[in-house]
Amino acid sequence: MPEDFDRSDCFTVEGKLALPYTYFAGKMGSRFITTIRDQKKILGVKCKTCNKVFIPPRQTCALCMEDIRENWVELKNEGEVTNYTVVRYNDKHLPRKPPFILAMIKLREADTPMVHILEGIQPEKVKIGLKVKPIFAAQTTNTILDIDHFEPL
Amino acid sequence: MSEYFGVKVDDLFNTMPDRFRPEGAEGVDASFGYDIAGEGKWRLTVKDRKMKIEKTPDLSGCVTVTTTDGETFVGINLGKVDAMKAFSSGKFKVEGDFGALAKTGKMFRKYVPPKRELTPKEYILDMFGTLEKRFQPARAEGLDVSIGYDIGGQDGGKWTAIIQGGKCVVKEGLAENLSVKLQAQAPDWVALMMGKIDALSLLSAGKAAIAGDAKLALRLGEIFSPYTPPGEKAAEQELIVLRKTISVNQKFATGPVMGKFLKALKEKKIMANQCPRCGRLQLPPREVCAPCRVRATEWKEVGPKGHLMVMDVVYYASPDPLTGETRETPYGSIHVLLDGCKGHETFWHLLRRDQIFRVKEAWGEERGTRLRPVWAEHRTGNIHDIQYFEIDE
Repeated sequence: MPEDFDRSDCFTVEGKLALPYTYFAGKMGSRFITTIRDQKKILGVKCKTCNKVFIPPRQTCALCMEDIRENWVELKNEGEVTNYTVVRYNDKHLPRKPPFILAMIKLREADTPMVHILEGIQPEKVKIGLKVKPIFAAQTTNTILDIDHFEPL
Repeated sequence: MSEYFGVKVDDLFNTMPDRFRPEGAEGVDASFGYDIAGEGKWRLTVKDRKMKIEKTPDLSGCVTVTTTDGETFVGINLGKVDAMKAFSSGKFKVEGDFGALAKTGKMFRKYVPPKRELTPKEYILDMFGTLEKRFQPARAEGLDVSIGYDIGGQDGGKWTAIIQGGKCVVKEGLAENLSVKLQAQAPDWVALMMGKIDALSLLSAGKAAIAGDAKLALRLGEIFSPYTPPGEKAAEQELIVLRKTISVNQKFATGPVMGKFLKALKEKKIMANQCPRCGRLQLPPREVCAPCRVRATEWKEVGPKGHLMVMDVVYYASPDPLTGETRETPYGSIHVLLDGCKGHETFWHLLRRDQIFRVKEAWGEERGTRLRPVWAEHRTGNIHDIQYFEIDE
C-alpha cells in the first residue's frame, strides 16, 4: 500500500483484555495467611541449623537448604523499618491512593523483612529503624492485606 | 427415602442452611428448583445474602429447574459422580439459565456426611487389634515382659501383650506369670485411651487397678503410640486458592479496510469488500483477496438480514478481548449468510441467547432460520454495534 493511502477510515477500537487466573498460596503460604486472618498472629519458620527465621515462611532454608517446613515460630507483633519507598503515582492495581509508603519491615525475631504498607506517619518523617506494629484488617480477604497496614509503635 | 453412598437426598437439602455462605450469594436474587425423581421437589430461594429451602411441588418462577435422580444428585454433591458425564448423558438436566445455576456452587460449603461413633465394643476390639502396630520397639529395648489387660463389663475381654526381643505379640486371654496386670471397666478403658480421662484419676477413684510391676505400667504410654480411632486423620489444613482477573486496557488499530467496515456499522450498514478478479465477498473485509492475492478494492453493502448456516453452542467461554467480560453460557456462535452473499461468504456473530435451541442450521444450498440483526442504541464503530442476531419473525 502506498505511504499516502487514505487514512480517513482508520481509527482505534478500545479493548480490554481480561486474564482470569487461579493463585494457590501453597501449604506454607496458606497457614501463614489463615493464622494472620483467624488469630491475628504472624508466623515465620526457623532453621534449626543456622537459627535464621524466615518470613514469609518457606519450606527450605535459603542458606542451609534444610527442610524447615515443620518448624513454625510465632513472632511478636512488633518490628522495624529497614527500608522504604514512597509511591507517588496512581494506578488501579495499587492498594492505596498516592502518596503512600511501602516499607520493608523486619519483625523483631525475624531475619528477613517483609514488604507492607506503612501508615500513620508523614512520608518525610519516616526513618530507617522506625519501630512499627501491624494493624490487622477488620474485613479479611485471604491475602497479605489481612494485615491492613503497619503503623508507628 | 433411599440412601445413596450412605446419604439421603433430604440430608443434602436439610443441611443447606448450615452450609450456606452469604458471601457466595452476593448479588443473587433468584429461585432455583430441584426435581429429584422419586424423592420430591425443592425450591431454593436466595435474596439479600439470605436463603430459604422448602420442599414444595410448585417450582414456578424458578430461573433454573434441575431434574435428576437421587443417586446422581447425591453422587455429584459427594464428588462420587462426575457432573459433566451426568450432564452429557442426560442423567442430570437443567432447564433455564445454566449460568445462574453455576452461581449456586459458590453459595454452599461441601456436604460432609456425619461420622458414625463406634460402639464401646468396637472401640475395645480396635484398640487391642492395633496394639501390635502401635508398639515402638526403639522404646522397649531389652524388655522381656508380658502385660495383661483385664477389661471388665459386657464389652470387655482379656488380652496379653508379650514383649520379647524387640517384638510385641498380642494374644487373647491372660497369660500366666504376667509382669503386670491392668484392670478396668470397658467404658473407663475407652475414655482413657481416647484421652478423655487420665490414668491417675481412674486409679485414685478405684476404677482401675495395677497388679505387679507398677513402673512398667507407667511406661506403657511410651512403649505404645497413642490410639487413634479408625478413619480419623489430623484436621485438614485450609488451603488458600484465590481466583482473580487481571484486566489490561488495549487498543486495536482498524486500518483503512476494517475501519470502513466498522464505521459503516454505526450507520446500521454491513459492508463486504469484493475481489475484482474472482468476485468473492469478504466479510469482515480484508485488504487482499486470499485466493487471488490481489487488492480487494470494491465495496458492496449486504444484509442486514440473512439465514443461519452453522452454529456452535458454546458452554465454556473465554473472555471477550473487547469487553473483558466472559459471556454467559451457553451462547450461540453463529455464521449467517447475509442477503447478497453466497457460498462460504458467511458473517460471524452471536445469536440471541434464549433462541439458541429454536433455530435450524443448514448446509450447501439449503438455508437455515431467517435472522435479523439487533442493533445497539449507541453505536461506536465496533463489532458489538450489532448486539446479536435474532429470529426474523
